[in-house]
Amino acid sequence: MTAIHDLRGFLEILEKNGQLLHITEEVQLEPDIGAAGRAISQLGETMPALSFEKIKGYRKARIVTNIHGSWPNHALMMGLPQDSDTRTQFFEFVRRYQTFPGTVERRDDPPWKENLVEKDVNLFDLIPLFRLNRGDGGFYIDKSCIVTRDPDDFDNDNVQNLGMYRLEVKGPNRIGIQPVPEHDIAIHLAHAEERGEDLPVVIALGASPLMEIVASMPILYNQSEYEMVGALQGEPCRVVRMDNGYDVPWGAEYVLEGRILSRFREAEGPFGEFTGHYSGGRLMPVIEIDRVYHRNAPIFEHLYLGQPWTEIDYMMAINTGAPLYVQVKEAFPEVVAVNAMYTHGLVVIVSTKRRIGGFARTVGMRVMTTPHGLGYAKLVIMVDETVNPFDLKQVMWALSTKVNPAGDLVVLPHMSILPLDPGAMPEGMTHKLIIDATTPVPPDSRGNFAQQLDSPVGTEKWRDTLSKLLSEVQQ
Amino acid sequence: MITSSKRDELICPRCRSTDIGVICCSPVKGVWTVHGCKACLYVWRDTEPEENRNPDLYPEPFRLKPEDVRNFPVVPTIPALRKKKSDE
Repeated sequence: MTAIHDLRGFLEILEKNGQLLHITEEVQLEPDIGAAGRAISQLGETMPALSFEKIKGYRKARIVTNIHGSWPNHALMMGLPQDSDTRTQFFEFVRRYQTFPGTVERRDDPPWKENLVEKDVNLFDLIPLFRLNRGDGGFYIDKSCIVTRDPDDFDNDNVQNLGMYRLEVKGPNRIGIQPVPEHDIAIHLAHAEERGEDLPVVIALGASPLMEIVASMPILYNQSEYEMVGALQGEPCRVVRMDNGYDVPWGAEYVLEGRILSRFREAEGPFGEFTGHYSGGRLMPVIEIDRVYHRNAPIFEHLYLGQPWTEIDYMMAINTGAPLYVQVKEAFPEVVAVNAMYTHGLVVIVSTKRRIGGFARTVGMRVMTTPHGLGYAKLVIMVDETVNPFDLKQVMWALSTKVNPAGDLVVLPHMSILPLDPGAMPEGMTHKLIIDATTPVPPDSRGNFAQQLDSPVGTEKWRDTLSKLLSEVQQ
Repeated sequence: MITSSKRDELICPRCRSTDIGVICCSPVKGVWTVHGCKACLYVWRDTEPEENRNPDLYPEPFRLKPEDVRNFPVVPTIPALRKKKSDE
């Protein structure tokens, strides 16, 4: 693929492929942007990105949303044909992931240096912020790439973190941040707070579609996100070294530089989250922004999230299953595919061959012991290698017929889960469940599975013949 | 920080505090104003649908008392300070 180094480059590709809708009539920030974001996700799985080009109250402002919000958009980001199915996109993503580490190119000509605001920073003036859902406690930046370094290991580029965490803009230069303990930024913040120091932070908005995919991807703590972007795009990932020693995405629209205030917490939330439920309110850390860089005529990239599926579910789909697949397959090469597309992997479906009886449930436990499993993988469904985990009809067949609750439900009590899981009790704790929907193999001898149907001889030939005839009829 | 509001009659739609400030006025003058509650930190624009501006219409599940925010859970917890060498 040809690398897409910034949001504007991707907007051109979307436009060329009929995946960008321009809304040129004037819109109200509330409720129009949120309502349109919700509506586009209700219209199907092939919807375009939206560009709002006249915002009431701003002279020149532009908001784009639903950039990742469909399978065609995700495929175009990967440089694949836009009709590629999810399984194809998954395996191509995995193939590139396994070329990690990619390369990083440091440059000093970022377009975001076109403008610098250091005095009287007012984020509400600079960015067309708005409320997304009615119960949100304020105006959120919900799609950004947030960079931190470990103050105990400052020069180690591998543990420099690029992550996506929700940001509530509460005052002109005051932002609430949600660094939940399961995520890498919380390690950096804990080290800074143990030292009694503020944690410098740089926030890039509209960095590039692949940068955002990696920022929301559960890779290992000591894997560099920039090297992962380089691997996934097959070309060097462009970054800029700031004066504070941080590496920042080259292609961003806005770059906000500030500090997480040490040992301070303040009311934040609620926010309508990817779980389809509001988060509730919490006392969380605060960032003070010291300076803002931005391009000329900056574009504010936002994301709608609500009851799945919405844009965030497309963004945190393939990128969640791929690292789980690689990490679990390293221990158990029999694993064939991992579908962790549901609510960022709260549900994970794994297809695997079985070495011995009890094998599949052991693999299920390995999913739960990956770093991502610490906060997700509440329900792991294990299916045979012949079942495509991306095809829910096949998965439902496996659940319908292969499962006997007498022995196929493995409950693990009192496991950790991210605090946003609304089913947890207390918050952050839950039982987890493995459903073993695979066919037992010796020495496991339960059930009557010896006479499973297969395809008649000649099926494959007939599939080709019929496909050809169909395409002739449809032309 | 949030500057003081001249409109003393303003009430926070979420917690009914009257300690309200102006965060921002629209870059095109006179189109909208963003207000912020200094008690519960709720933020709203005066052109939003009425349920986000009017305390009587504010959705019930999200209503608060100003003192409630003190009892929110702390995430993440604040770790102990490291001992300085001079303290050992």
